[in-house]
Amino acid sequence: MIVSPFCTIGPFFPFEFADELSDMAEHAIGTPIIVTGRVLEEGLGPTRNSIVEFWQPDSNGIFRHPLDPRFAEADPGFPGFGRARTDHDGWYRIRTVLPGAPVGRAPHINVMVLAIGLTRRLVTTVFFSDAPDPVLECVPPALRSRLIAGKHPDTETYRFDLILRGENETPFFAD
Amino acid sequence: MTKEYSLYDDRSQMLRYIDRYPKSFTRTPLAPLIQRPLTLSERTGPIGLAQQLAIGQLDLSRPKADAPRALGQLISVSGRILDEDGSPLRGAVIELWQANAAGKYIHKMDNHQAPIDPNFIGHGRLVTNEEGEYQFFSIKPGAYPVLESGWWWRPPHIHFSIFGVSWMDRYVTQIFFPGDPLNETDLLLNGVPDRATRDRLIFEFGDTTMGDVSSVGYKRDFILRGHRRTPELD
Ligand SMILES: [Fe+3]
Repeated sequence: MIVSPFCTIGPFFPFEFADELSDMAEHAIGTPIIVTGRVLEEGLGPTRNSIVEFWQPDSNGIFRHPLDPRFAEADPGFPGFGRARTDHDGWYRIRTVLPGAPVGRAPHINVMVLAIGLTRRLVTTVFFSDAPDPVLECVPPALRSRLIAGKHPDTETYRFDLILRGENETPFFAD
Repeated sequence: MTKEYSLYDDRSQMLRYIDRYPKSFTRTPLAPLIQRPLTLSERTGPIGLAQQLAIGQLDLSRPKADAPRALGQLISVSGRILDEDGSPLRGAVIELWQANAAGKYIHKMDNHQAPIDPNFIGHGRLVTNEEGEYQFFSIKPGAYPVLESGWWWRPPHIHFSIFGVSWMDRYVTQIFFPGDPLNETDLLLNGVPDRATRDRLIFEFGDTTMGDVSSVGYKRDFILRGHRRTPELD
């Protein structure tokens, strides 16, 4: 059977659908962190009113999903899924916990961008170091640093910008 | 070995660049999308949302059960959610949003000079049953202008966001109503090159009902990515 056609999320995705899922850390075990950055289009203009979604393992690297062999030990207070919307200047902000390393992977968060002008979703992955990872290794070496979040020296805040197109474009993965 | 796949140039999907839709040219990446193996991280996804969020039997046509209904044509929308192998997706969360009968959203970004309907909320969530089926009542949305375009009126449509069983099958779309003349000029609907695929963005006319709730029916099934497109890393 053929997969149904995607279409853009458009400008009117309800704010509350995003805002109620913007804190994954509230009841979770682990180090609370903020991941924040700007979503920018060609020419580095802001992509206002877009949606950024996140899927990640808990602080022990366990996915809250029955396919994970360690599912039974997943942190019951950690949802794994979060969502943020961008403001007038293209900024998003999500609160979560620092992900643990899943078996065979470096710590990471899956990221999805949904926006006006994108007829389909864009997916990428944000990492916290350049530790070996089978997905990061698919990215040309010169571009890998674009997928590594920068930690603020004094706080548990990580900066990750998503440049959809143009110079310093974020690497995105096939879908 | 990991099978490579891509929907990038798939004729069954909407084009990434659409003429006269300027943001499609400033937001679509220049670089080809990078192939990668699918690990547990991509093959899992949010399946616990139904427990986490308030989700109920959905009637978008009124704010609560004893409230007056919104203005407009009462409709019943139903269908099934399946994966590529034809297996029903039970417990899949669906998020819905749409304009009221006058073509107005309850949303800060909506500058269209059309009236708000106090009895129309315009968004909600529901979950599929054991057979992968969903059903909700609403009113038929109105058309609305894309003000910055200078000419483009969006035909009536309902927005769907669906959570399947993995990160890879996360799905967002818009579904249109059959026979609307604005369907012929809509940039998004006509951004699907293949005619048969385009029809899969349009509701099928369903059954009319008469009784406690009389409504006009519309149907739309969805096929999300399944096992065939999610080979394992091994
Ligand atoms: Fe719309």
